[in-house]
Amino acid sequence: MLDFLSEYWSVVFPSAVGIAGIYLLLPRLEKRYRILGAIIGAAGLLLAGLLLIGSEAILAETILFYSFSGLAILGGGLMLSQHNPVHAALSFALVVLSTCGLFLLLAAPFLMAATIIVYAGAIVVTFLFVIMLAQQAGMTSADQRSREPFLACLAGFVLLIALLSVLQKTYSSTALDALMAKVDAIARAKTEVDLVRILGRPAQNPAGNRSLPLVDEVKKVLPSFDQDKVENANGYWNERPMNVAKMAALFQDIQKHVEHEFQLGSLQPPANLPLSPFSGPPPNKEGPHQLPAHNVAGLGRSLFTDYLLAVELAGTLLLVASIGAIAIAARQREGLR
Amino acid sequence: MSPVSLHNFLAVGAILFALGAVGFLARRNLIIMFLSAEMMLQGVALNLVAFARYRGNLQGQAFTLFILTVAACEAAIALALILMLFRRRKSLDVSLWQDLREPELEPIVDEEPLPAPPEPVELPRLTPAGPEPEHPREEASHV
Repeated sequence: MLDFLSEYWSVVFPSAVGIAGIYLLLPRLEKRYRILGAIIGAAGLLLAGLLLIGSEAILAETILFYSFSGLAILGGGLMLSQHNPVHAALSFALVVLSTCGLFLLLAAPFLMAATIIVYAGAIVVTFLFVIMLAQQAGMTSADQRSREPFLACLAGFVLLIALLSVLQKTYSSTALDALMAKVDAIARAKTEVDLVRILGRPAQNPAGNRSLPLVDEVKKVLPSFDQDKVENANGYWNERPMNVAKMAALFQDIQKHVEHEFQLGSLQPPANLPLSPFSGPPPNKEGPHQLPAHNVAGLGRSLFTDYLLAVELAGTLLLVASIGAIAIAARQREGLR
Repeated sequence: MSPVSLHNFLAVGAILFALGAVGFLARRNLIIMFLSAEMMLQGVALNLVAFARYRGNLQGQAFTLFILTVAACEAAIALALILMLFRRRKSLDVSLWQDLREPELEPIVDEEPLPAPPEPVELPRLTPAGPEPEHPREEASHV
């Protein structure tokens, strides 16, 4: 338990604060704690932003990601805390729109448009119609209270911690952070002075060639990187004068390798599975891949090769659902049933 | 590659999913419960699209299209059901449908019952004095 807490405190702490805020924000009869809940919830969101998804580089993509995901989570919290179901539906529209922004960041323009049209355009409007049909008399008692708010928040907290800690376990490279800071510094080194500052000075007499402790560390932590290539670093270091350019190039290679290796996490499909190549290179194929530039054409090819049967079934499902909805919702005349 | 990595998007998806789960468990209004379920679906869709982007493989996006289809069907059916349930009980409160529980379970009693509605105040009334006078035609048409 304590081990878990000390290892995953950066996951547990913001989740606990955020869920506590949600617990205070859930609708109940006395409204004293709503402002406190809003403050605690906002603090949880900020903590999550700082700890869970911290990133050093401030680029347009980072800013967009932060604002869209912050808006999405904020909309979710708003939806849970609204007394009025119309406001809740509008907050859900906010969630959908910001998720669409994230879709656009993820190079899925067709899905963005389809989600806006289907969700924000159709589903939310239908919800508003139903709310108007069902609640002409205004707010009901159902919106003033929550059902077992403490137990619900506890369940949500456990679920959130489970999901986030598994994510951190699979995708984190925190064990590498100290090493990678050094590797980054060497990769950026321009002169011998820079290298000496990081690695120290090699032995004065050429006979006593020492090997770098950093090399052994890299070999131990990154067994998938070419071991002989790492050994070359010792040679570059002991050369007179130091071979700064080759050293930097080698460590840039290590950087790229780590980026590629840890981008997709430690769970990988086995290499010998026969996977379909129609939707793009199969996930067990080596190397970073790019999405096709023509998103809609690529999706069409994927749908009508890999998912042909599923497309037919989805069409049938839509037909059955529309017939079913009409059959359920049609007002039966008195005495017909 | 890009400064925002895969697990950031997965974390946002997980948070949306957990928020939706809390909403589904805690809220009483049938419509908001359903909106929460849709929010869980949004979290899952975000996961799939993120995997598609970082693997360079369109299968995740195709899956998300099917999620959209199923969500649309689900919305149609669920809203029809909600309308029907509302006609039966005249309320959207889900705890009015507790009689659908397992036969051996005890019914859940609300911990914080609603306050009783205020008693209608008896206002003093004047006894009508005399017959009501006839209104002129023009005035009556305006009222």
